[in-house]
Amino acid sequence: MKKRNYYLIIGIIITVVILVFTIIGQFWTPYSVTATSSSLKSLAPSAQHLFGTDNLGRDIFSRVMNGCGTTFFVAVCTVAIGCAVGIVIGALTGFYGGMLDEVVMRINDIVLSFPSVLLALIFISFLGKGTYNVILALGVLFIPSFARIVRSEVIRYKSQEFVKSAQVMGASNLRIIFVHIIPNTKVSLLTSVAIGFNNAVLAEASMSYLGLGVQPPVPSLGRMLAEAQGYIVSAPWYAITTGIVIVLIILGFSLISEGLRVYQD
Amino acid sequence: MRYFLKKLSSLIITLLVISLLSFAAFSVIPGDAALAKLGTDATPEAVEQLREKYGLDKPLPERYLKWLAGAVQGDFGASYRYSTKTVSELIASRLPVTVIMAVMSFIIIIGVSIPLGIIAAKYSHKPPDTVINVGSQVTMAIPSFFLGIIITYIFGIILNLFKAGDYISPQKDFWACVRYLIFPSIAVALPKIAMVVKYLRNSLLAEVNKDYVRTAYSKGNTKDQVFKKHIFRNALIPVITFVAMVAAEILAGSLVIEQVFGIKGMGNLLVTSISSRDYPVVQAAVIYITSVVVIINFAVDILYQLADPRVRYS
Amino acid sequence: MSVELLKITDLTVSFPNKDGSLHTVVDHLNLEVRKGQIVGIVGESGSGKSMTSLAVMGLLSEDAIVDPCSSIRFNGMELLSMSGDERRKVQGNTMSMIFQEPMTSLNPVIRIKDQVGEVLKLHTDLSDEEIYKKVEEALNNVGIHDVPELMDKYPHQLSGGQRQRVMIAMAIINDPDVLIADEPTTALDVTVQAQILKLLKKINEVTGCAILFISHDLNVIKEVCQRVIVMYKGVIVEQGRALTVLKSPQHEYTKRLVASMPDKAEPQISQEKILHAENLSVYYPVKKGLFSSGAKHSAYVHEVSFDIYNNEIFGIVGESGCGKSTLVKAIVGINKDITGTLEINDERPQMVFQDPYSSLNPAKKIGWIMEEPLKLKGVRDRAERKKLVNEMLNEIGLDESYADRGISELSGGQRQRISIGLSLMRGDKFIIADEPVSALDVTVQSQILKLLLKLHDERDLTYIFISHDLNVVRHMCNRIMVMYLGRVVELADVNELYTNARHPYTRFLFDSVIGEDAKKIPEGVKPAEVVETKGGCSFYPRCRYRCDKCREQMPDLIDIGSEDTSAGPGRPHMLRCFKDITKETPEVNRISELPEGKLRQ
Repeated sequence: MKKRNYYLIIGIIITVVILVFTIIGQFWTPYSVTATSSSLKSLAPSAQHLFGTDNLGRDIFSRVMNGCGTTFFVAVCTVAIGCAVGIVIGALTGFYGGMLDEVVMRINDIVLSFPSVLLALIFISFLGKGTYNVILALGVLFIPSFARIVRSEVIRYKSQEFVKSAQVMGASNLRIIFVHIIPNTKVSLLTSVAIGFNNAVLAEASMSYLGLGVQPPVPSLGRMLAEAQGYIVSAPWYAITTGIVIVLIILGFSLISEGLRVYQD
Repeated sequence: MRYFLKKLSSLIITLLVISLLSFAAFSVIPGDAALAKLGTDATPEAVEQLREKYGLDKPLPERYLKWLAGAVQGDFGASYRYSTKTVSELIASRLPVTVIMAVMSFIIIIGVSIPLGIIAAKYSHKPPDTVINVGSQVTMAIPSFFLGIIITYIFGIILNLFKAGDYISPQKDFWACVRYLIFPSIAVALPKIAMVVKYLRNSLLAEVNKDYVRTAYSKGNTKDQVFKKHIFRNALIPVITFVAMVAAEILAGSLVIEQVFGIKGMGNLLVTSISSRDYPVVQAAVIYITSVVVIINFAVDILYQLADPRVRYS
Repeated sequence: MSVELLKITDLTVSFPNKDGSLHTVVDHLNLEVRKGQIVGIVGESGSGKSMTSLAVMGLLSEDAIVDPCSSIRFNGMELLSMSGDERRKVQGNTMSMIFQEPMTSLNPVIRIKDQVGEVLKLHTDLSDEEIYKKVEEALNNVGIHDVPELMDKYPHQLSGGQRQRVMIAMAIINDPDVLIADEPTTALDVTVQAQILKLLKKINEVTGCAILFISHDLNVIKEVCQRVIVMYKGVIVEQGRALTVLKSPQHEYTKRLVASMPDKAEPQISQEKILHAENLSVYYPVKKGLFSSGAKHSAYVHEVSFDIYNNEIFGIVGESGCGKSTLVKAIVGINKDITGTLEINDERPQMVFQDPYSSLNPAKKIGWIMEEPLKLKGVRDRAERKKLVNEMLNEIGLDESYADRGISELSGGQRQRISIGLSLMRGDKFIIADEPVSALDVTVQSQILKLLLKLHDERDLTYIFISHDLNVVRHMCNRIMVMYLGRVVELADVNELYTNARHPYTRFLFDSVIGEDAKKIPEGVKPAEVVETKGGCSFYPRCRYRCDKCREQMPDLIDIGSEDTSAGPGRPHMLRCFKDITKETPEVNRISELPEGKLRQ
């Protein structure tokens, strides 16, 4: 049945719109991101200040545009680390199996049984606060989820006859894994990349909210939300607008992953 | 029985590995605890003295064994920050409220999501299902701390149903504490409800088209009977594992939500200890939290085996 | 009282297409089943035969549209106008159904006794003890040996044959008037298949329960059914007495269906050995424990010896688990864990696989797939590779446009053509075909077999042809090797083996093939028990000619000399058995005679 995949369409629209604003926000914002002004303190949303201003008189919309950059930067880095290392580990352990596979999968099981926010918290306990520590912690934490997906796909495909067929033709194992099998895992990998982004954004925002991630003066959505909480009575729009942007980013990615899942079926 | 012993031994090994890792990790952090406590401008003699006091001058393996022996009995040494309290006392005062909140969220999640999941599956691709689907897709995207802030704003400030920040510890007044925890629990539970509903629905629908379901209909079962007697038990098997993940997620959610509602629980303890480099406390908190997750997983493995005869007899 | 039991008039079933139009799968079907009669519906996948059975049983999916003019009358009642509750009183009570896949058709988490007993719970007021007794009785009736133990088991603990027996027990426990059997033996091994068919016939004789029997297999239909209906694209193209229809088909489609076996050219015996195996054992790694180091392994193929000569078609037959696939893996070099001698004169044998849906990479285009062997062989020139692919596409009966297509756009038969072409791309002459047609529809089967024979003749190929279908093997092969539990038990020229089978297992296999008269399925043979006797003959547990010596000692494979001389005098006939069973009542060869192939060009 040819049904419109609304999940995918809406997910992509949300993500692209936010991404465009974010990219612009790295070069130009309507107002200065850092300049404070006592006359513009805590203004409600208006045509001049779409999201209003914060307690120091900074334009929230500008800060959100710029702050999303940090969020995306952290997400892209962590997913890239997790995906690249995960594919290699998953493909090799899945194809060769054996003792190494057992050990790696046990470690994976343990890591995967912890929510990423919790694990990031634990990692930060060891590494200390800071953006790059958050990237490192989340990146390492995402390796198992990618490794597991790739591994199970490789195991599924390696018993199929087209792999035997390639073996009979004389293809080497590495060629079989990376040229014959991995292209088949494209859709599942895309799905996990979308889920990975979803989790990375959530984890980064949580870390920064707790004051353990991105440090001032760099704007970050999680940190802004933490600040905003203190002014929830005098300037509720601060928390609400910032929070909604976080929700939209996560929603975009989760809709994409859901859409891909539907597509896969 | 063999299965049980196998799982039990792997549980013990996992716990040991975690203890070793967390001990090792805190031992290699540059600038040890003595320095952290005294600051960089302390005299070398003073640092040396403090090291001796904490036993930091001994070799690593010896320190690990001594620490492990203490840890098993619940003794994690003294806090650097609160010089009058031991780590165990600190944790004992903070753990109950986190546990209460986690249990409350769990009850809310299970109570709400199982009926919703079944309704969604029964009326799949019909209006009730669509409403539940869209609802869960959106709630899943709301981070619990933002949800917490929204709840404080709506129920605390606009509707005045509770006072954010008026936290009472369970040791002081248990029921007052439970009453205060209702809103934080909902904040933790809501995104997870969405996850469980979605998972249960998909798990049920995955079963609906299986051959044995057709057999069940061919015997003359009604749709309700087929769901109740045949599909539900099969669909529950994957959900059991998923619920373990949710239990761990609840724990993570509670740690963050404590900051929003000003609850003095484990999450608050962990975050403040990380910020003040109070390593013995961080170490103990990490061990407690990870142990809980590992033990939940162990329990779920056992449950899983009871639910699925294919695992039981193989 | 009328003898009419089930009468279908103008049954029309459609499904909505993507664009809202209707797609009719059953078109104005008329059909009658009398009391005690066995009626067969035969057709290929997509012929509408299963939809018909689901419509009768009331199990069509919700989006199916049954035309309002349709009528299904059962015992004088109109089924199609019944309410759900009335319909459920019929389902599982006076009308019941058995399905193709016994594994997936049983609920994996419910004990056997409860699954079988459920039908009684739904339709009778019996107490739990009475239900237990009746279930026990029903399981005994369907020929299950250890009923008391089996009652508390779960489906995954049973063998395929046992599961299908449980399904049947479940279907007949309420004494239905009609039993609908949808491909009930397709998923089973040949020998188990024969037993299940026999059981169904017996049930029909004893209880008088009518059976509507759906199958794609003409021989099965011929074996059990009195009347047959041939369906093609939702329409009945022919019907009548089963034997008459299948002996002298009238409709064009039925003719194609019946005459679907091509014939090989006369063998030209060559003396040039292309493969020489001597005392070849093949091992397989056993699943390792977490802490045990070093792979334990056990032999799956035990000391087989045989030669394959240039240009011959060499058949290997045996039930699943007999070691034929393991042997093949060793020959093509995927499994290198072997002892003994294995010499191959050609470069490397190539393979045609069984499942056309998994043997081609779904992520790639046909062109890429067919170029891969050339790349691996070292053909660097892209244009050269494209040219060779195009030539091959033409040769296998497709055209150049296929190079740009993905696998999902192709039918099963087209995929199998690609698979065959792929195996020839490197230019090798030694091809192993592992069940190359068993996943295909009957009429497509014959086209693929014809292609294989054509290529064999044109390119001077040598084939190892593996199949469980003894009719196909007979028509395709020059020599045949029979394997049982990893050993060769008999090896001879095709005519010799089919006229003068000497090993009890070979005979048992041939007898299990459904012929016109299968009343004499050997009673002494127990249902598949795979037991390795210590040191003795591996067939001992299932053999009806066994003696004490067989238990103690494994017979050697010796040449007893061929009686049939059609392939020349003094041909070898290898046999692994102590008893000379020709001295006992010779069994009539009961391989069904299909009409001579008219398709041979």
